[in-house]
Amino acid sequence: MAELALHGVSKRFGSVLAVDGVDLEIAHGEFVVLVGPSGCGKSTLLRMISGLESVSEGRIAIGGRDVTDVAPARRGVAMVFQSYALFPHMTAAQNIGFGLRLAKVPKAEIARRVNEVAATLQIEELLGRYPRELSGGQRQRVAIGRSIIRDPRVFLFDEPLSNLDAALRVRMRLEIARLRDRLDATMVYVTHDQTEAMTLADRIVVLDRGRIEQVGAPGALYDAPANRFVAGFIGAPAMNFIPAAIEAGEGGEPQVRFGPVTLPAGRLHDAASGPVTLGVRPEHLSIATGAEADFRGRVEIVEKLGAESLAYLQTEFSTEPVTIRIPEQPVVRPGDEVGVRVARERFHLFGETGAVL
Amino acid sequence: MADAACLPAPARRFNPWPAVIFIALAVLALLFLAPTAGVLLSSIKTTRDIALGQLWTIPSELFWGNYAEVLGNPAVHRYFLNTALVTAPATVASIALGSLAGYVFAKLPFRGSNLLFLVIVSGMFFPPQVILIPLFRLFNAMDLIDTLYPIIVIHTAMGIPICTLLMRNFFATVPNALREAAILEGANEWQVLTRVALPLSLPALAVLATLQFTWIWNDFLWPLIFTQSDEKRTIMLGIVNLQGQYSVAWGVQGSLSLIASLPTLVVFLFFQRYFIKGMTMGAVKG
Repeated sequence: MAELALHGVSKRFGSVLAVDGVDLEIAHGEFVVLVGPSGCGKSTLLRMISGLESVSEGRIAIGGRDVTDVAPARRGVAMVFQSYALFPHMTAAQNIGFGLRLAKVPKAEIARRVNEVAATLQIEELLGRYPRELSGGQRQRVAIGRSIIRDPRVFLFDEPLSNLDAALRVRMRLEIARLRDRLDATMVYVTHDQTEAMTLADRIVVLDRGRIEQVGAPGALYDAPANRFVAGFIGAPAMNFIPAAIEAGEGGEPQVRFGPVTLPAGRLHDAASGPVTLGVRPEHLSIATGAEADFRGRVEIVEKLGAESLAYLQTEFSTEPVTIRIPEQPVVRPGDEVGVRVARERFHLFGETGAVL
Repeated sequence: MADAACLPAPARRFNPWPAVIFIALAVLALLFLAPTAGVLLSSIKTTRDIALGQLWTIPSELFWGNYAEVLGNPAVHRYFLNTALVTAPATVASIALGSLAGYVFAKLPFRGSNLLFLVIVSGMFFPPQVILIPLFRLFNAMDLIDTLYPIIVIHTAMGIPICTLLMRNFFATVPNALREAAILEGANEWQVLTRVALPLSLPALAVLATLQFTWIWNDFLWPLIFTQSDEKRTIMLGIVNLQGQYSVAWGVQGSLSLIASLPTLVVFLFFQRYFIKGMTMGAVKG
């Protein structure tokens, strides 16, 4: 039985359809990440699960119980907000124990559970401090503590790391991953940072304009995107999209042609011919010489990232620069003319509707 | 740098404006403080000294008789009690109702709430004289003339617009995420208000408490209209009542004026640090 189930969930703000008929089932203990561009409805969906936003259509069930019209506090969910949402006039301990105080749990019991949670999050020494006396990472830990203490069935995270600096974000990401292993809890996590999504998720739900574009394990989404949107959204730097066409080769087998280049499109046995978009990730292009090279381009810009570089190439068949991920060698410089090889079987073809062929 | 240090300093022209502004402000301050100083001086002089035209001179000997007379007068005790009986409930009630309304307007808006908010706030612009006669007739019909109830009710009602305005604006600065976090923790709206929003609004509450207390304590008009007997008079009317039949007891009036202003001073000093913070809230980021 799914721990969290969404059946045809929609949300309408006036004439705007923010979430459009979302169906999703999340198993107990699963870590699901909702990703998508700004305004795709991911936060609205999370807020509907929490009960902070009403559902226009559809049903939400948690632990097999329909909670669509149940008050937020009675759903068995806890939420960690982007802004932490710690009460400024309360100490960390008071913040963590706030829900228990409202539930009139005896003081001794509250103190015991606050200390237990603080030990889990290693924030024992911070319990007496006010939020203003805590750093961003410490505040986030206190906010997580407040969500843990009530022992919810489902944890909801609304872009919890987006206010932190890059280094702290990496650390907190690790901590959330550890926490998830320790708590064995069901977690729904909203982010627009795909690194967070790829590293934390059991499954990623990619949303666009209120609809689910694809659901799958991070590797599956990366290797086999269902459409051009998912292909472009998952992976950094983004996939290269090149206008191309499918045509019959000499032996009748399908070929992909872009500019002067033809590649065997072996996987597309029965695909219709016509214009398509070729999608290839920067890591699946490599510098090549002689007959190995499929096409040539002129290096426009090189971004050095340390262990590797990104080169942006001008080509005769694409108005957009083609991005190549280059390991330490060979060294390329702006202005160089280089040959490029496309890794066979690692490119994707998208039809006119954007769906993968 | 060395070259720059050797350059002759540019000739400084005398700028008279700081001096002019300082003098103007000093004169204004003196004018502002003069009545208070006059009252203070009159309160520590005998009626004879004042009658001899020595109001503005520093007395060679302090005369505490006026204070003794005022503090020993049972009527003054009654005035103080009446004023407190009006001020305390009216201050608390207007702030409480204004907070409730302000919370709804800031955090729970509904269709037409902005219009309703404007209607309530427009109450601030009604001159009291316009509603004086209708209110007198109303309370007269209710047989409440010469009681403190009309004054309490009117001050509560007239305080609601400013309290609603200030509290609504302050609550609007409390992040919605705090309310939502509290609701997810199991709080109802009343608990969100009392445990989260109000504790965060102490500066606004302090400002309102000081303003309302001062305004109601010092009010002269409404007690004059709705009370008749000396038993129901408040302190501001009491100051007038202490005037003698044939001559004005300046010294006694002066000492009562100062004593009467002490509670407002105490309230201001008590809330001062919040008051300053509240008056400047939102002025700068952070």
